[in-house]
Amino acid sequence: MDDRTQRILDIVVNSFLPLLKAGVEFTVPLALISFALGLVVALLAALARLSGNRVLSGIARFYVWIIRGTPLLVQLFIIFYGLPSIGLTLGAFPSAVIGFTLSVGAYGSEIIRAAIQSIARGQWEAAYSVGMTYSQALRRIVIPQATRVAVPPLANSFISLIKDTSLAAAITMTELFRVAQQITATTYEPLVLYSEAAVIYLIFSTVLSWVQGWLENRFSRHVAK
Amino acid sequence: MIQIRNLHKSFDDLHILKGIDLEVGSGETVVIIGPSGSGKTTLLRCLNLLETPTSGSLELGALHLTFTPGKPLRRDETLALRRETGMVFQSYNLFPHMTALQNLMEGQVTVLGRSKAEAREKALQLLKKVGLADRADMYPHQLSGGQQQRVGIARAMAMDPKVLLFDEPTSALDPELVGEVLRVMKELAQEGMTMVVVTHEMKFARDVADKVVFIDGGVVVEQGPPEQVFEATQQERTKQFLNKLSV
Repeated sequence: MDDRTQRILDIVVNSFLPLLKAGVEFTVPLALISFALGLVVALLAALARLSGNRVLSGIARFYVWIIRGTPLLVQLFIIFYGLPSIGLTLGAFPSAVIGFTLSVGAYGSEIIRAAIQSIARGQWEAAYSVGMTYSQALRRIVIPQATRVAVPPLANSFISLIKDTSLAAAITMTELFRVAQQITATTYEPLVLYSEAAVIYLIFSTVLSWVQGWLENRFSRHVAK
Repeated sequence: MIQIRNLHKSFDDLHILKGIDLEVGSGETVVIIGPSGSGKTTLLRCLNLLETPTSGSLELGALHLTFTPGKPLRRDETLALRRETGMVFQSYNLFPHMTALQNLMEGQVTVLGRSKAEAREKALQLLKKVGLADRADMYPHQLSGGQQQRVGIARAMAMDPKVLLFDEPTSALDPELVGEVLRVMKELAQEGMTMVVVTHEMKFARDVADKVVFIDGGVVVEQGPPEQVFEATQQERTKQFLNKLSV
C-alpha cells in the first residue's frame, strides 16, 4: 500500500468515531426533539385551521405562510444571530431546536390537516351519535385513523429533517457536518470527509425508513387491503 | 316519548322540512316512508341533532329543546339529547380501527364512564343478542354488510338509549342480507324498544310498525296505523307513492 492510500485510510478510520459521536450526540437528539415538538405544533396548527374560528385559523395560516415561504437557513440565522440584538440570546442548540420545530410544525400541519379531512364524515357522525364531544371524537375515532394516512408523509418530513440538521453547522453547532468541516480544516481531505459524513447521514435515514415501514404495517393491520 | 312541533329545517335557501308535527309514544315503532328528497332522513337526523333544526321544538323524555334561527344550541343540551338516542346508519359507520367488541365498548367507556369489564360484559351480551357472539374479535372489514349492520345496532343499544333511530338501515345491503337485519329490528320492537325507522321496506312497515308516517315535500302528508295508511289510504300523493313501489 502506498503512503497516500495509507494516509486516507487512516483519516477515514480516525474520523469515523468523532463523526458518529457528533451524529449521535447532536444530530439525532436535535432531530428527535425538534420532530416531537414540531408534531405538537403541527397538530395545534391543523386543529386551528379546521376549527372554523376565523382568528385561530388566520393565525395558523399566517404561521404556515411565513415558515414555508422563507428559507430555513435564514430563519436559523435570524434566531441565532439576529435575536441577540433585541436582547434575546440563545445557545446554538436551543436556537436550532426552535428553528426546526417551527419548520416541522408548518409542513406537518398541512399533512395532519389533510389526514384529518380524509376521514369520512360518517365517522364523526357515528362518534357524535354515541354521545361523544368534539375532542373525544377527535382523540378516540378520527386521530387513530388519520395517523395511518399521515405516517408516510410525516416519515418523509422526518427524513428531510435529519438531513436539514446539517444547516445547524452554520450557527456553530458541533453536529455531524460541522465536525466533518473541522476535520477537513486540519487534514485537507474534503472529498473523503464530506463523503464519510454523507454515508453516516445515509445510515440514519435508512434506519428511519425501516421504522417507517414498521409503523405503516402496524397502523394498517386492521384495514381491508 | 318524543314530541315534535312545527319543526323546520333549511339549508341556506333550501327549505327541507316545512313544519313537521310528530309524536312517538313510549315503546312504539314509527316507520317513516316517502320519496327520496322528501326530508325523511333530515327529519331523523334532526332527532339526534346531527342536523340542527332551524325552528320548532323537540321533546324527548324530560328534555325540552326549542330551536330559534341563528341561535345555536348549548353544548350540554346537544350532548344530553344524543345520550338518549342511538343511531343506526345506512352505511353502518362502524369504527374500522376497532373490533366489533371494541366498537360496542367505546362509547360506554369514553362517554358513560363505565369500567372496561362492565362495558365488555354488556357488549358481549348484545353481540350475542344480535347473533354475533362468535364475531366479537373481528374487525368491520372482516364482516359481511349484514353482520356490520347488526354490530351497528348493538353499538347503538350499548348506550342504553331511550330511542333508537334507523336511517335506511338495509338500503346498502345485498338483498339476501336484508332479512337478518330486519329480524333483529323486529325483535327489538317486540321487546318494547322505542324506534323511529326510515326505510323502504314496506313489509317491515306493515308487520312491525305501530304507526306509519308518509312524508313528501317536507311535510307529513298522512300518518296512522299501517293497515290504515296502506289499505285505506286517504291522500292522493300517498296512493301514488305506494303504487309506484308495488310496480
